Parts: sequence; C-alpha cells; structure tokens
Amino acid sequence: MSAAGHDDGVPIVPGSPLARALDDFAVPSLSAGFADRVLAAAEARPSPLPELRRSGGGRGWRLGRRIAIGAIGFGALATAAAATGLLDRFDLPAVPSPQKVWASLTGKETVPVAAVAPVVPPPADPAPAVLAPVRIEGRIDTPEELGEAFRRIDEVRQGRVEARRQIIDTRIESEIERRRAAGLPLPTPEEEARVRQRIDDARTRREGLVAERLQVRREELLQRVENGEALTREDIVRPLRDDARALERTGRLQRLRRMTPQQRREALRQLPAEERRELIEAWRQRRAERWAGEAAADTPTPATQPSESSEPPAAPPAPESPASRSGTPGDPSAAAAPP
Amino acid sequence: MTPSGEPAAPASAADDAALVARMAVRDPAALREAIARHAGPLHRIAWRMTGEPQEAEDIVQEAMLRLWDHAPRLASRHPAGTSAGAGLRLSGWLKRVVTNLAIDRLRLARRVSGEDVPERADDTPLADAQIEADERDGATRALVMALPERQRAAIVLTYYEELPNVEAAAAMDMNIKAFESLLHRARAGLRQAFVTLGDAQ
Repeated sequence: MSAAGHDDGVPIVPGSPLARALDDFAVPSLSAGFADRVLAAAEARPSPLPELRRSGGGRGWRLGRRIAIGAIGFGALATAAAATGLLDRFDLPAVPSPQKVWASLTGKETVPVAAVAPVVPPPADPAPAVLAPVRIEGRIDTPEELGEAFRRIDEVRQGRVEARRQIIDTRIESEIERRRAAGLPLPTPEEEARVRQRIDDARTRREGLVAERLQVRREELLQRVENGEALTREDIVRPLRDDARALERTGRLQRLRRMTPQQRREALRQLPAEERRELIEAWRQRRAERWAGEAAADTPTPATQPSESSEPPAAPPAPESPASRSGTPGDPSAAAAPP
Repeated sequence: MTPSGEPAAPASAADDAALVARMAVRDPAALREAIARHAGPLHRIAWRMTGEPQEAEDIVQEAMLRLWDHAPRLASRHPAGTSAGAGLRLSGWLKRVVTNLAIDRLRLARRVSGEDVPERADDTPLADAQIEADERDGATRALVMALPERQRAAIVLTYYEELPNVEAAAAMDMNIKAFESLLHRARAGLRQAFVTLGDAQ
C-alpha cells in the first residue's frame, strides 16, 4: 500500500492489512442498567416546550411572505407618492401622474393645474388681468410690434398707477381711523384735501418725469427698429434696470426708512464707508428733488403731514409720504416696464 | 462490518412510526423498546468516535432522551399508518443525532484543552501517561483517533456501520459529493497513518 499515492482514497478492501487492523477496534458492550438509567432520566426530564407556532409553515413560505410584504409596501409607498404629486415634483418621465392616468381612463385632455398664486390683497378696482406682467416673446423688428409692446406696457403701467392710488387712499383712511381710535386730533376736511392734492401733485410730477424719460427711450427704440434692428425683451426692459447698484441702493434705502432713527444710525455706522457715502448721496439727491417739488407745489404743510421729512442729515433715508412709499420716483423701471 | 457490536435489531418503518406514536403518548415501554432496538449501534458509533466508554454512554443516553422529547413532533409529522409514517427511519435519525453529539463533544474537548485530542506527544508526564494508555488500548484505536472528527465519523459510519454513502451523508448533514470527498480524504489519512505506524513498529 502506497503511503501517498492516488489510490489512498479507494475503499478499504476487507481482508487487507488495514481492514484487519481496523477490525481490531473492539467495542465494549453497554453497561448494565443502561436502559433503566435512560428511563429514569426520561421520567425526571421536564416535559418539552410546546412547538413554536408558525402560521406560515416552512422557510419557503416565510421568505415568500416577506417578499410579498415588501412588494405590497413598496406599492403602497409608490401609490401614496403618486397620489400626493411627489412624482411630478421629481419629473419622472416613466411614471405617469394621476392626472395623466385619469385622463387616459376617461379619454379627456389633461388640464394643467395653475400654480397657486401668492396671497396678495387684490386691489379693489383695477382688473387683475391688467396687472399681469407684459411678456414679449421673440424679437420685435417692426414698428407695429414695438407699438403693441408699448401699448401693453402702458396697460400694465396704468393698472399699477391705479393700484398705487388705491393703496394710498387706503393708507390715508386707515391712518385717520387710527388717530380717531387713539383720540388724536384729526385733520379737518380742508387739511385732508390739501394732503391729497399734494400727493396727487407729487405723483403727477413724478409720472411726468418718468413719462419724459420713457418717451426719449421709446423714440430711441423706435429709431433702432426703423433702422432694421430686431429688439428683444432685454433690449426694452434691461436698459432701464441695468444699474443693479442703483436697485440695490433703492432697496437699502427702503429698508432704512422702515427703521427707527436710532436703528438707522446704527445701520449706517456698520456699513462700509464707501457704501455709506453712496447712500447719503442718493438720499440727498432725492431730498433735493422732493424739496424742489414741494417748492413748486407751494402748499402749506398740514398737521397730518408726517414730520419725518425734516429729519436731520445724519439719518438720510427719511420716510416719505405714502405716495412716495408706494413707488420709487427715481426708478423708471417701476413705471415703464413691470417685472 | 460490526466486529464487536451487537447486531442491530431489524425494524421496519411501520414499526418505527408506531414506536414513536407510543412514545408521543409517553409510554415508557416504547422508550425501553427503542433503547433495546437502537442503543447498540448508537453506542458503537459513539465509542468509536470518542474512544471513551462513559462519554459514549452519555451520548447515547442524550440521543435517546432527545428522541423521547421529540417524539410528539415526530409522531405528528409521521403518523403511523400513513405514507409519511412509512418514510420515518428512526435509526437514521438517531445516528445523525449521535454523530452530531459526538462531533460537538470532540470539538468542545479540543476547545477546552486547547490542543488536538489525538496523540500528540509533549513533555508533560500526564501526556506520556495518556499516550501509554492509548498504546495499551491498541494501535487500531490510535489509527482512528488520529483522524479529524468528521473524517473519523465518515470512517465509522461507512466502514464499521456499513452505511451506504447516501445514508452516511444524511447522518452527517452533508450532500453526497461533499461526503464522498470527505471520505476519500479520511481513507487517505487512515492509510498514511497506518503506514507510518507500521514504519514506527
């Protein structure tokens, strides 16, 4: 017999030396009384626990049940996501939205749901359609198209003027009501009429300035169109707004106006020197324009006129009258091309 | 080949199912009958696996007690007089239990002692005494005991108990291919140990 040959694993042949050697491995018999000891141990053994209750049966059934539960759970989640419109938000092309599924069932056209408009108190009088922003699609290369664009812009602008007027009236009335409720002296009808007249004059003056600038700008645009140049929306709208720093400055002035004088001084102190100088300069220009307008109006200041207009120069962005709060006189974009 | 064991009592599957049914209703006579029928072969396996008389008896006793405990479940799955009952092979079930118990105890002993159970000579007097005792028990026993426990089980089941490979594989919870590979390695190891032993003598 080879020690490490390929035949080492073959069955052991009876009668071979290895078989004879293995047969010498004798086994003793069981000890006497073995069965009695086992029986005694069985009697003393506690009764076995009841079998575990497994309703699902074998391993295969348990696995299948888990798979089924997973599939049902995934389906429920997918259904809930589709029902809540989550799939539309992720814009998954392979998963149709509930509207599409319903339309395919009923055979009707899908109607796109309008986006929820922000809650804005609607103006009382002007039509909402007039307030819609003007959208200029494509290029404008004929005077007729440009005129149509101007007409639509003017419609929106007129609507905004009306809305602004309504807001001013509402503010005046609410202020009078507040003073009446607080027991403060109320303006006489003559004083109220003077205030309204002053506001109207300021608005007329401001609109006149804006209209002049608009006229110049429109003539320039018309000239470009007549020269064969095609205008885009940016050509009409953006030049009026390209001064981003001016817009930012205007917004900052408006924020400063809403602060108390102390907060305003502190905010100005925290600004960089250059920005502070720009703001003060802008405020001085506006104040000069306002004073020029007041001198032209030549009307006495009523008792209800806000006294902040005579604020010291240390606090440049003085609050203006309600008329000037509602719009920015120096910003032509507010009147010419609505956003 | 059962050179020194008792001849196994022939028992049909129907007898096994009826016996289990009686044990399920807690009939001690049924357990005694099962011991008389199966304890001999089980003891041979346990003895040749462990080489310890007391350990072998403990293993057989534990196997019979497990049969006593599992009798209600076995009876419910293999009712007497049915095709399921006809498929019950109590001897195979018990041999699987005994083989697994023996392998578990051998592994536990190796874990506790921290060294191989077979003859491994070292310098301690106790080990010398053990080797001398093993030599007294015979070179054959040393041959079998030198095998790893699973290879030893394969030799015991197929050579001594003359089980077909399929049944021996079932007793060891193995598939037939893996068992045949294990058996091949066991025979090779046995032959190599036998040659080494002959050279030493």
